[in-house]
Amino acid sequence: MTSTSTTTDTSTSNDTDSSDLTSAICDLSPVPTLIVAPNYRIQRVSKGVVDAWHRGRDDFLGKDLFGALYGGSPLERFDRIPLARAIDVAVTARNFRLCHAAYTSPQGVSYSARIIPIFRRDEMLSLVLEWDEIEPKTPDIRGEVIQHALSVDEVFRLLIQAVKDYAIFLLDTRGYVATWNTGAELLKGYKKEDIVGRHFSTFYGQEDLADGKPEAELITCLREGRVQDEGWRYRQDGSRFWANVTITAIYRNGVHVGFGKVTRDLTERREAELRLIAAYEESAKLKNDFLANMSHEIRTPMHGMLSACTLLLDTNLTEDQRDTANIISESGQVLLQVINGILDYSKLASGNFSVNTDLVGVVSILTSVVRNVQMTLLPGVYIKLVLSPELPRSAQGDPLRFRQIFQNIIDNAVKFTEKGSVQVAASVSAEDATSYTILTEVTDSGIGVAEADVQNLFKPFTQLEKPTKKRYQGTGLGLSIAKSLAELLGGQMGYRPKPERNGSIFWFTVKLKKIANLDPTEALGFQQKQQTEKNQQEAEKERMLKRLKEVAPQKRILAAEDNAVNQKVLSRVLNSLGFRNTTIVSNGAEAVETLGASPNAYDLVLMDISMPVMDGFEATHKIRTLKRYIPIIAMTAYALRGDSETCLEKGMDDYISKPVNMNKLLQKLLIWLDSPEWSNSSTNGPP
Amino acid sequence: MALPDDKELESIFGDAIDLTTFKQILEMDEPGDNEFSSSIVFGFFEQAEETFESMDTALSDKDLEKLSELGHFLKGSSATLGLIKVRDGCEKIQRYGKQENLDGSPEPDAAVCLERVKEALTAVKSDYEEVETGLRKFYKEDEDE
Repeated sequence: MTSTSTTTDTSTSNDTDSSDLTSAICDLSPVPTLIVAPNYRIQRVSKGVVDAWHRGRDDFLGKDLFGALYGGSPLERFDRIPLARAIDVAVTARNFRLCHAAYTSPQGVSYSARIIPIFRRDEMLSLVLEWDEIEPKTPDIRGEVIQHALSVDEVFRLLIQAVKDYAIFLLDTRGYVATWNTGAELLKGYKKEDIVGRHFSTFYGQEDLADGKPEAELITCLREGRVQDEGWRYRQDGSRFWANVTITAIYRNGVHVGFGKVTRDLTERREAELRLIAAYEESAKLKNDFLANMSHEIRTPMHGMLSACTLLLDTNLTEDQRDTANIISESGQVLLQVINGILDYSKLASGNFSVNTDLVGVVSILTSVVRNVQMTLLPGVYIKLVLSPELPRSAQGDPLRFRQIFQNIIDNAVKFTEKGSVQVAASVSAEDATSYTILTEVTDSGIGVAEADVQNLFKPFTQLEKPTKKRYQGTGLGLSIAKSLAELLGGQMGYRPKPERNGSIFWFTVKLKKIANLDPTEALGFQQKQQTEKNQQEAEKERMLKRLKEVAPQKRILAAEDNAVNQKVLSRVLNSLGFRNTTIVSNGAEAVETLGASPNAYDLVLMDISMPVMDGFEATHKIRTLKRYIPIIAMTAYALRGDSETCLEKGMDDYISKPVNMNKLLQKLLIWLDSPEWSNSSTNGPP
Repeated sequence: MALPDDKELESIFGDAIDLTTFKQILEMDEPGDNEFSSSIVFGFFEQAEETFESMDTALSDKDLEKLSELGHFLKGSSATLGLIKVRDGCEKIQRYGKQENLDGSPEPDAAVCLERVKEALTAVKSDYEEVETGLRKFYKEDEDE
């Protein structure tokens, strides 16, 4: 109260009436007003302050301005900065200034201060602070931006302009550059005046332009609101950088006004990535090539060695020599398995392993593998197969891989089981509209797996050593391959110890597709379908047979075959197919002679390859020197692949394998004897 | 005669005969008799016995080339009838006669080859006898019907 009396005293000394009046006017003003001495002591407080802020005059009178306004706020040190700065500016300029949002009332309403410095000549008498309530415009950003006395637009403009690490700019609706920031200038090398008004496709490379990438990006952006892309972009100087680009469509009041584009330079990251990928691919490729080559290179001499060993075992050997040779043979077999395992593994690792789709008869595969494995059981070990009745009769998947997985784990089980039993149980663990998940569990009473070793079971090239027991043969790849295969077939593989007594349980699942339209109620339909297909094949066969029987009586066939039994059968077959003019000769020389004597007497030659006097190849060669062309079909022994190719190389037209299958022969004869229309329409034409 | 079913054939021949091939021969018979197939089969018996004799002679002459030819010859007819064990035995004789191992690699030692042929011949003869007995039984029973 001292200050109040002082002020009163001062004014009294001049002009009491007017001073009283002035003070009264000030005190009674409805506008929140503070009159502050140059030392920031508050001298007068208007009624407006009391009414608007709901604070008593005593909160202010004689107090320090900043203490009265901001005292108690945890951020007092920051709160005072704008007002103190504004007062400084106003005092220096000797003119009024606005300080935006200088005070927030206890009710949470912001007030701006109009700061009016009152000077008499060079002496400042006092400061008048008048407060205006700020109408809250956008509540969201009021707290963030407005108290800085900046407009929202301005803030954002400055922010964007100042960012150096990102190119941020606007495109108009057609993709022409409309704004430019420092980051864009630094990144792309263009000055603002160079680029504004040019099209953003300037930044793209020839290839992207040819592909129509810029326009595609704008179209996608309009459709989806935004688009993101990574790729090479070009600077003004022609150098390129790996850009991460985000384009956002911008709308004002629902009207599309342009695109916002933010570009980052990820060249370094990209280059590091590429180096890493290249290094990884290179090393993976080297590893797999190496494995594949080595396996192949080792296999060839291995086969030689094993065959030689088999021969050796067939000779007269002493007991000791036989034992030694047996060891060589067995070790060789194991080594071969290892190598085959590595080949499989390298194929799996390089992703070259193909999965085929075929019919899988789960039950028949399991049964057949179990039957085979029975031979390898140690004496006193028995095997049991438990098949759940709901197992599908057949489904779609890769039967070979399924068999391989099962073979692998059952081999393991048998290998490690010296007494007791191996039990195989298969069931359907899950089923949905399109697939079955088949669970197969193999439980053995063997040595089991130590707890510490469980985590290493499926790691490649791991063989769990049992130093105290005998060493088991194996590759250390079997389980790893089986697991990868199970995963390829959409399943899993795992291990758990057998709860009672010794032993292991290995299990795996595979996903098999249901055969379309095959649910239990339609199983009958499926059988009918199979029946229908079979009938169709039968019908096709009938059709072909009928056709051949029409053609055959007019056709004459020469067959060269040295074996009397085969001659008899062949002649019977041809007869039953409707041929009435068939000549059979016993060797190539006779065939050539017969044809040479009457070139027009025959329509087709069936030629055995290996015959006495003159073989089929030589005979064909000779026949080809004759004037008239005649189709020659080789009859090759059931032997090797490649024979058939040789036949074609040697001038024959086609081949059929021996012993001659009636249906095959029927097809081939039709192809070569009947009109071209037939062979075109035939679904069983030559390959 | 009606075509015998697979079970019946299997019970007689076990795995010595490829049923598909043999049935194809049976299907060539006129309905009601098996004249054709039996003539083929008995023709084969004659051929086989002659060939085995020739093989024995060639073996004592150490004539590998002849042995190979004979092996090939009998291989052809046994394959036609589906007598797969005999066929495989003949294939062995053919291979070793050509001084080749079963995988096609060369076997330069003629003595070894002769020894192999001898073993294979013994084996194939016994396989033949087995299937011959089966076939004779098969046709005998048919006659009795």
